[in-house]
Amino acid sequence: MNELAVELEGVCKSYRFFELDDIALQLPSGTIMGLIGPNGAGKSTTIRILMGLVHQDRGEVRVLGHSMPDEQVAAKWDVGFASDDMRLYDSLTLGWHMNFMKSIYESWDAGYAQLLLKKFGLHADQKIKGLSHGQRVKATMLLVLARRPKLLVLDEPTTALDPVARHEILRELTDVMVDEDRSILFSSQNTQDIEQISDRITFIDRGRIIDSMDKEAYLDRWRRLRLEVPVGVALPALPGIIGIRQTGRLAVVIANAFEADLPGAYENSGARVQAVENMTLEEIFVANVERSREGVTV
Amino acid sequence: MNGSVVRQLALKDWRLHRLQVILSVAAGAAALGLFQIGREIPVVLGATWFFVTLVLLACMLPMSNVVNERKKHNLAFVMSLPISPRQYAMAKILSTFGMFLVSWAILVVAAVWLIEARFPHGVIPVSVVLTGLVLTGFCLMASVAIVSESEGWATAAIIVCNSSYGVIWYLIIRVPETAKEVGGAVAVWSPRVLRILATEAALVIFCLGLTFYLQSRKRDFI
Repeated sequence: MNELAVELEGVCKSYRFFELDDIALQLPSGTIMGLIGPNGAGKSTTIRILMGLVHQDRGEVRVLGHSMPDEQVAAKWDVGFASDDMRLYDSLTLGWHMNFMKSIYESWDAGYAQLLLKKFGLHADQKIKGLSHGQRVKATMLLVLARRPKLLVLDEPTTALDPVARHEILRELTDVMVDEDRSILFSSQNTQDIEQISDRITFIDRGRIIDSMDKEAYLDRWRRLRLEVPVGVALPALPGIIGIRQTGRLAVVIANAFEADLPGAYENSGARVQAVENMTLEEIFVANVERSREGVTV
Repeated sequence: MNGSVVRQLALKDWRLHRLQVILSVAAGAAALGLFQIGREIPVVLGATWFFVTLVLLACMLPMSNVVNERKKHNLAFVMSLPISPRQYAMAKILSTFGMFLVSWAILVVAAVWLIEARFPHGVIPVSVVLTGLVLTGFCLMASVAIVSESEGWATAAIIVCNSSYGVIWYLIIRVPETAKEVGGAVAVWSPRVLRILATEAALVIFCLGLTFYLQSRKRDFI
């Protein structure tokens, strides 16, 4: 069995005003990867390339062991895809859509579909045009999940959902992972959603992957130190520090490779460590993007 | 397994547009009903209504079955299914062309049957040529819609085709032999008529082939 559900290597795609540059990404089977990036970062383009909807100019893409886009038909039998700009047919009922999916996928689990109908509070005989935005997203998720795909590729599925609907969707995604062979690639701007369910995090900005690692490693390695710097003391350049902002005698230091001896090193230099704080994924994301953009522009 | 997906997609399009197709056939049949009255004004009105019905269906189907699928963001849903761009094109060609061809064939056969029963048979060849032109125009409009998936280009194709019908019908009718044959009691399938029909058929096949070729070379779908 292939151990990588998704593998991108050296993937490039050029548009007139945007370029996806040398994307490399690996999603091991059985994991949930959160793809985080600001608007226009390249999340959707990456996912579309992954699904064979857009063809890469260069580079290799493999999904469940199939080369994309050439083997997209074979790959898509086992991939469930949903995106925030995907719409079902307004004039038809959810029940019609369920029967449609059942007629295509032998793996369709009618019992699970009925269970999801109840859990999501949906009615099979309701037309799609009569559903709210949240209900439409849930209906799409039902159609994707009841196929029992090996890989779920979700492009901002929780965008514009209320907190309850978001929670219902995320809980269902977590339940999917009870089966260890399943994998999820989940893109979002909402770092809370990603933090809640992901094992691995990938940051993307301006068409480039800027970082990718285990979520726990991120949260462990990133710290914010608040220092009091007496007059005449200069903060030393230490490894693992990616940003220092000093206002008068107060300094905020961001570390992306925090080690236990780091506060001591600052104390030895004459500064006083007021606090060592954990950072949220959102703070890490913003710091990462800022660092990447400074690196690009300098 | 995959032929089944193409079939399901084509059936889905039939399900979505069945009312449009049924209403068009009913409107065309009602137009032919005016022929039964037999007097000049009802016949002229019936013939106009009949062609308007065919032309309307030829314009509406590519817009609603192809362009709207992209406009209403259903394309991402369809393309997430296990099909290739080539198979998607096949499903669209089967459904769009199939729906029009069935409606067109029912109405044209009914019109020919009615003419045979009540009018001089000389009008049959020119009627087939004129309705064949609508079929050719439909193929061109549908091909542009499928390949471009653009409302603008599809609308441009509709305008060009609809503007051309009048000119081409006029050019066909004004040929003296045609005018003479139309009034005759016997249907004359002259070499000229057969050449026009062959050209129409060739254009239909060319449009279908080019659509399939261009669609299978597309690199970006959404």
